[in-house]
Amino acid sequence: MNRMEAIRLIAKKIGNQPIVSANGYVSRDLFETYDKESNFYMIGSMGLASSIALGVAIKNPKKRVYVFDGDGNILMNLGSLATIGMLRQKNLIHIIFDNESHESTGGQPTHTTKLDIKNIGKSTNYRVFETMSKNGLQTILNKIQNTSGPIMIIIKISKSSNTSKRVGYNPTKIRDRFMNYFD
Amino acid sequence: MFDYLHNLGVENSVGVPDSTMKYFIEQGLKKNKILIATREDESIGIAVGMSLAKSHSLVFMQNAGLANSISTITSLVQLYKIPLIFLVGWRGYLKNDAPEHKKIGEIQSKILKLVGLKSKIVKEDNWKSCCKWAFDQISNGSSCCLVIRRLFDE
Repeated sequence: MNRMEAIRLIAKKIGNQPIVSANGYVSRDLFETYDKESNFYMIGSMGLASSIALGVAIKNPKKRVYVFDGDGNILMNLGSLATIGMLRQKNLIHIIFDNESHESTGGQPTHTTKLDIKNIGKSTNYRVFETMSKNGLQTILNKIQNTSGPIMIIIKISKSSNTSKRVGYNPTKIRDRFMNYFD
Repeated sequence: MFDYLHNLGVENSVGVPDSTMKYFIEQGLKKNKILIATREDESIGIAVGMSLAKSHSLVFMQNAGLANSISTITSLVQLYKIPLIFLVGWRGYLKNDAPEHKKIGEIQSKILKLVGLKSKIVKEDNWKSCCKWAFDQISNGSSCCLVIRRLFDE
């Protein structure tokens, strides 16, 4: 399964619920496959998608807030896992598309080639799920409907051959659409 | 100052502690209205999320943390025009502060200017007007910075 396939599957399943997506190909693929106003495409500030989502989740305890993250992104802000876990943020669902590389900068290896984020997730109070297949992902997505967070889903993906286009909106438009969703 | 800002409508304070503002943080902890994060850029990310959820937010940090946060300010706060109040402790203001604060203390004002963050220095006789100014700034969609000088030795 590549990232695009995984994103299509998850985005369809979660429908109109809010997503904060990491910079690089994660946001590009989400924009191309399932653009909607409650997607916050973070195009700069690498590493901070889960922090932004945490802020949204704290202020909207009745809504589930999703993070679409990459392995490079989460490794850059492991402190965020500590803060989310310390708060035991029930409504936060953290999805990590792990291709073990910094794909958008030329495919350089990340630390996940040699260590397991799963264990970091467990020790920071997440309920952790991991898969590399579509069927496995479907099962997890069904299972988490009634599971309390913070939830981490690690999806081992293959590197992609196609490149999605850049997010086509101005940052302030991304902001306004996202904020309008909360009206 | 914490209560005053809170009463004006600043609903969230997120940051990394600095002894310069320890009373501010103590008051926030007492009221259970403060969140301490692991790093300054992480704090800004959380505060941006809260602001996207339409809740006025402040981030607090030492000036070392301001230096850590420059890219986050330019590529998140300013890129998306998210209004936040930065409360920054000015270490290195006194000549005899610890050596690690000397350089950043000297260049802090220049950094704020270069980044384009409007700022005011909070003093005993102007702190209320500074708070009002900062709240007006974020209410009008602009980020701004309140600087607290470290005036004591420890």
